Amino acid sequence: MSNNTKYIFFSGKGGVGKTTMACATAVHYANEGKKTLIVTTDPASNLADVFETEIGHKITPLLNNLWGMEIDPDKATEEYRESILAPMRAVMPESVMAVLEEQFNSPCTTEIASFDRFVDFMVAEKEGKGEHYDIVIFDTAPTGHTIRLLELPVDWSAHIEESAKGSGNTCIGPVASIQENKVKYDEATRLLGDAERTTFIFVLQPEETSLYETKRSSAELKTIGVKNVELIINGILPEEICEHPFFKSRFEMQQRYIKKIESDFPVKIRKMFQRDGEIKGVERILNIEKDLFANSLKQTYSIGNGELSKAEFDTFVPDSIDEIITPNGKTKSIFFTGKGGVGKTVISVATAYKFATEGYKTLLLTTDPAAHIGEVLEQNITDKIQKIEGVENLWSVIVDQEKAVEEYKQRIIDEAKSKYSEDMMIAIKEELESPCTEEMAAFDKFMGYVESDDYDFVIFDTAPTGHTLRLLELPFDYSDQVSLMVTTNEKSQEAKSVTQKRFDKVIARMKNPEQSIFSFVVYPESTPVIEAYRAMLDLKEAGIKTQFVVANQVLEPEYCTNEFFIKRRKMQEKYLGEIKERFQLPVTVMPLLESEIKGLSMIQKASGLLFNNKVNV
Amino acid sequence: MNNATEVKKIEIFDPPMCCVSGLCGPDIDPALLDINEAILKIKKEFDGQVQIERYLLSQQGPKFMQQPEVMKRLQTNGVEILPVTLVNGKVVKEREYPGYEELMKYIKEKS
Repeated sequence: MSNNTKYIFFSGKGGVGKTTMACATAVHYANEGKKTLIVTTDPASNLADVFETEIGHKITPLLNNLWGMEIDPDKATEEYRESILAPMRAVMPESVMAVLEEQFNSPCTTEIASFDRFVDFMVAEKEGKGEHYDIVIFDTAPTGHTIRLLELPVDWSAHIEESAKGSGNTCIGPVASIQENKVKYDEATRLLGDAERTTFIFVLQPEETSLYETKRSSAELKTIGVKNVELIINGILPEEICEHPFFKSRFEMQQRYIKKIESDFPVKIRKMFQRDGEIKGVERILNIEKDLFANSLKQTYSIGNGELSKAEFDTFVPDSIDEIITPNGKTKSIFFTGKGGVGKTVISVATAYKFATEGYKTLLLTTDPAAHIGEVLEQNITDKIQKIEGVENLWSVIVDQEKAVEEYKQRIIDEAKSKYSEDMMIAIKEELESPCTEEMAAFDKFMGYVESDDYDFVIFDTAPTGHTLRLLELPFDYSDQVSLMVTTNEKSQEAKSVTQKRFDKVIARMKNPEQSIFSFVVYPESTPVIEAYRAMLDLKEAGIKTQFVVANQVLEPEYCTNEFFIKRRKMQEKYLGEIKERFQLPVTVMPLLESEIKGLSMIQKASGLLFNNKVNV
Repeated sequence: MNNATEVKKIEIFDPPMCCVSGLCGPDIDPALLDINEAILKIKKEFDGQVQIERYLLSQQGPKFMQQPEVMKRLQTNGVEILPVTLVNGKVVKEREYPGYEELMKYIKEKS
C-alpha cells in the first residue's frame, strides 16, 4: 500500500445505517494498524452516540489508531467569519461590525464555510499540514446534501474561471480573493475522481425508495467524475427468523430487491443483516466489522436459542391529533420533517389522502430532492400541479430544484433584457451560474406554495432534517439580508419594500400554529429520536413550534413471535416512551406493514391506520 | 506616471452585500445593476485609460482600512455612508453610486 491517504465516503439516504458502516470500516482499518480518521459533515451527526463519547468540532482520539471529528456547520461558519472579521474589529466602528456580522449569517457563508473545512482534510496532506492519516473516512450527510457538497468544488472552480473572464465577481467576492483557494478546490475535485485514492460506498436498504435514491445519487456522482463506487445492502432480514407470514412477506420483498440491486449495479456489493437491537458501543461495531470484512456472509447476529417466544408487551396508545389538524376555515400547511428515510413521504401521502377523501381540497407537495411521491402514488408527478387520478380533491407537485433554477434564471434574464446592454447581459448570465442562485430559486418556489390560499390543506413532504432547516431558515436569513439591501435610488426602495413584505408574510404564516403545523416523523430508535429532537430545538429557535410526532414502522405485538423480533419490539417500546418524554407532544403511530406502501389501496390502508387512534400497538 | 497617458483610478467602496452584481441577494437590486452597466460601458469606451476597482467590505476589509478617507467617514457615519467613490484617492461621491454621466465627468476632469 502506498503512503498516500485513501478517502472513503459513505453515502446514502439517512437512516440506512451509514454511520454504523462507516464506524465499522474505521475500526477495521484502525485494527489493521492504519492510522485512521473518521469525519462527519452531517449536521445531525450521531458519531458520538456510536462511540459513546463526546467528540465535537475537533479531532478526538477514539481508539488505538482511530480519531474522529464532527464538523459542525455553525462552528465552521463561526471560524470562517472570525478569520475575516477579527482583523477589522480593532479599527472598525461597532455599527459597521454589526452589519458585517449579520452579513455572515447569509446562507452563502454557511455553505462556503462547511465546504471549506471539508476540502481542508483532502488537501492537508499535499500541503504537508496537519497529521498524516492512512485512511480518512467521511460519514457524509444524507444524499441530497452530500451531492451538493461534493458538487461544489466543480461548481466553484468553473464559476471562478468563468467570472475571471467577465465581471470579475463571484458570490464569495472578487476573483482575486479566492484565486488562492482555487488550487485547493481543484485538488479536492481531482482526488474525488481518482479511483486509487477515493472510494464511494453507498449504503442502502433492500427496498424501492432506497434503490431509487441510490440510482439517482450514483448517477449524479458519475457526472462529477467519481469512478470508484461500492454498495452495502443493509438491514437484510435473516430468513430463519421470518417464519411468521407477516415477516415472510417482508423477507420475500427484500430478496426481490436484493436481486434487482445486484443486477442494476455491476459493482462490489456487500450485504449486512439486520440486528435485534441497536448498534452502540465498540463491541457491537466489532461484530458488524466482522461481517463487513468477512469473505462470506457469516452469521454473527443473534437470533436467540428459541426459548424466548412469548413476551409481555407494553401497549402503546397513540394520542389523538384530531384537534391539531381540524380545519379552521383557513389554509393549513402541514410540514412533515425528520431524518431522510424515516417515511415522511408515506406519512405525507397518507395524510393528504385522508383530507382529500374527507372532501377538503388538498395539495401534496415535496421539496425533497429525492422525491418519490410519484413512486408511492404510482403516478407520474411533475413540477406542475396536477390532479391525482382515483382520488377526489387531491393534487400533487414536486419542487424540482433544477427546474426551479432554470425558471428563476429565465425570469431574471427576461426582466433585465429590455433594460441593459449586451455586455451587461453576459455578466448577469455569469452571475446566475453562482451556487447562490440555486438556493434562491428553490426557496423562491417553496415560498409560493407557503403563500397559497387555493387549498384547504397543503401537505409538505419536506426534505431531510438538515436540508429542511436550511430551507426553512432561509426566510429569516434573507429577510435580514433584505434590510441590508442598498437602497440608493427610488427603484431600489420599491423593490425592497415588496420583497420585505412578502418575506414578512411568509414568516408570520410559518410561525402561526393555526396555519402551519410542524410534525416530526421518527422510527422508535435511538438515532432518529435524538436527531428529531435536536431538529425540533432548531425549529424552536427559529420561532416555530412543533405540534405532534409520528412514530413510524412500529412492530405490532402480534407479529413478534420469536426472540429477534421480541427484542426489537422491546427496543421500540423503550424509544416510544422516550419520544413521549422528550418531545412532550402528542405522539401518533404508523405500524410497520407487511409490504411497501405503494398504490392507492395501500395508501388507503395506511391512512386508516395512521388516523385511527383507537388502534393500540 | 507622466503627462498625457495618465490613467485615472476610480475606486468604489461598496456597502456590505452578498455579491456586487446585485443578483445574489433575495431580490435584484436595480441600483447595483445600473452601476455595473455603467462600469461596463466606461471600461469599453476608455479601454486602458481608466482603472475601475470595487471593494467589498466583507471580502476586502484591508482595502477599507488602508484608505483613511473611507475609514474617517465610516467612523463618523457608519455603513450608511457607503458606497463611497474615489477618483485618484479623492472622495467624489458618497451614499450613492455615480451614474454613467458622472463617471464620464470624473474621467474628463483634469486632476
